[in-house]
Amino acid sequence: MGSIKRISKELTELTESPPEGITVELADESNVYEWNVIMEGPEGSAYYNGKFLVKLSLPTEYPFKPPTVSFATKIYHPNVTNDEKGSMCLGMLRADEWKPSSKIAAVLQFARQLLSEPMPDDAVEGRIAEQYKNDRGRYEEVAREWTRKHAC
Amino acid sequence: MDLQDFLAMEESRERDELIDLRSLDLVSEYDSHLMCPICHCPFVEPVCLQCDHIFCGSCLSSAITTFRSADSDEFPCPSCRNPTQKVSASVPRLLINMCDEIRVRCPLITEGCREIIPRGHVQSHVEKYCGYRLLPCPDNSCDQMTRSKDVGVDQKCIHRVRRCSHCEEDVLEHEYEEHEKELCPVLEVTCVDCETEVTRGALPEHIESCPEVAVPCAASKYACPVKIRRAEIAAHEQSCPIVAMGPYFETQNARLKSLESSMRHLQQRNEIFEDGLANIRSTLVESTRLGASSQSVGQSTQSGREPQSSARVDAHSDDPADITASVFSSNATTYLLSLHESLREEVSQLSHAITDLDARASMAIMNECMRIKEDIAHTNAAVNSVRMQVQWLMNPRLHQGTRGGAVRTNSGENEEARTHMASSAAGPSHASGQSLGPLRPRRPSDSGREGTKL
Repeated sequence: MGSIKRISKELTELTESPPEGITVELADESNVYEWNVIMEGPEGSAYYNGKFLVKLSLPTEYPFKPPTVSFATKIYHPNVTNDEKGSMCLGMLRADEWKPSSKIAAVLQFARQLLSEPMPDDAVEGRIAEQYKNDRGRYEEVAREWTRKHAC
Repeated sequence: MDLQDFLAMEESRERDELIDLRSLDLVSEYDSHLMCPICHCPFVEPVCLQCDHIFCGSCLSSAITTFRSADSDEFPCPSCRNPTQKVSASVPRLLINMCDEIRVRCPLITEGCREIIPRGHVQSHVEKYCGYRLLPCPDNSCDQMTRSKDVGVDQKCIHRVRRCSHCEEDVLEHEYEEHEKELCPVLEVTCVDCETEVTRGALPEHIESCPEVAVPCAASKYACPVKIRRAEIAAHEQSCPIVAMGPYFETQNARLKSLESSMRHLQQRNEIFEDGLANIRSTLVESTRLGASSQSVGQSTQSGREPQSSARVDAHSDDPADITASVFSSNATTYLLSLHESLREEVSQLSHAITDLDARASMAIMNECMRIKEDIAHTNAAVNSVRMQVQWLMNPRLHQGTRGGAVRTNSGENEEARTHMASSAAGPSHASGQSLGPLRPRRPSDSGREGTKL
């Protein structure tokens, strides 16, 4: 039950003073473990002007277990799987790197940061990571195209 | 102590605390360093790790049970992931004091307690001092709860219902005394004026009719100052002169009122009439000015042009007299109509004059046109005759030119003599013949002849 208290506390904080470009709400008012996050593409990135729906799912053992972050909106990004799950690979979310002191706000801000600066060495989509490293122009073009098609 | 001991200690810690310190409503802001990174609340019974990271004891124990892999004697610190084996319960006193100082609302706010207390005192406040804490009723046979402030020294059950012996109403035990003394409607009370005993319920009615209550005279509104007992008021009213005058005052009041209203009405009407009068006056002044100006215009345009205009001016000069007369008769409409009539007349006269002038002008133009036409015809004829003469004069010259071209071998003398002869022949016939002399070189034949001459 401690988890619900902490989660609702974090939710209140996030709704009262949301970080830039991030809006959170519960996917279902009766369930504090599933959040819907609207993430705006950061300015200066290929995802600018896009609005991405990110699903944040918290385990019942939170904060001892990490939450999972997945993109419900299709996105062309080396660190997001290009399937219907759209799961995002965040270093800090791995079970062996997660710390109970990390906050959801930090997780979301880190995810948004990853939109401006993808980490091709930590990629889940090798092809996109390759393109990001070798043909940046083409990568940005496709990312912009996808953003326009799926996230506007 | 090592992890096992710590877990055992946490386990054995008495969990009989009434209050969950984490769900308290915090009133004051607190330093973020006092927040447990696990539960995000100010530390509750904090413990310290080897790496100096501090957590609530209960939070850490659940973290250990979650993180520790199968009975190993170490676990990663929830903040820095350093492997940890020892937990220290000795946390700086300062930290605990700061956490205890945080102001919170009494959790019994739902019962009505509005106190704000330091968090360290909540436990004792709720257990001992809060008047809104619910206690089981002191009477063992009663199963209801009582707020601690409602439990009297005599430890009586307040929930027992007692029937009022007077009004047959059910009253709670602890309210019975108050009911009996002050509220019960059947209770007899003494009227302060006549000292009769009446029931509380009937007291208002009694005061209405009590003979001892002082009432004002019926004529008090006409300034009778008398205020005496109801029993005597009738006698007073019999003799009071103001009461006798009552009906008269009444009618006078009514009359005054009706007069006032009719006066107000009349005032309004008067205002309306005054407005209308002012309007009429202003239009009159305007039209007078208009008439005067039109008159002067008429004079300037028509004077000395035609004899009839002077007559009209005379007729106009009568108008100002008319105007003043009508102003004084204040028959504005008639005056305006007459003014309109005279203006219409003037307009028709003007239009007559204009048509007359038009006819004259067109006649004059016609006459002038005829004359000019005749002149033009004359001029045309003259021009024609001149042209004829010129033609006639030119003919021999042309003939001479062609002949000169043909007899090119003739001597210069001959040529000159012939030219002279021709000019002398032309001279007497017409004056314009002389002027034709200089025109000669224009003839192509002439120029050709001159070229041969050179």
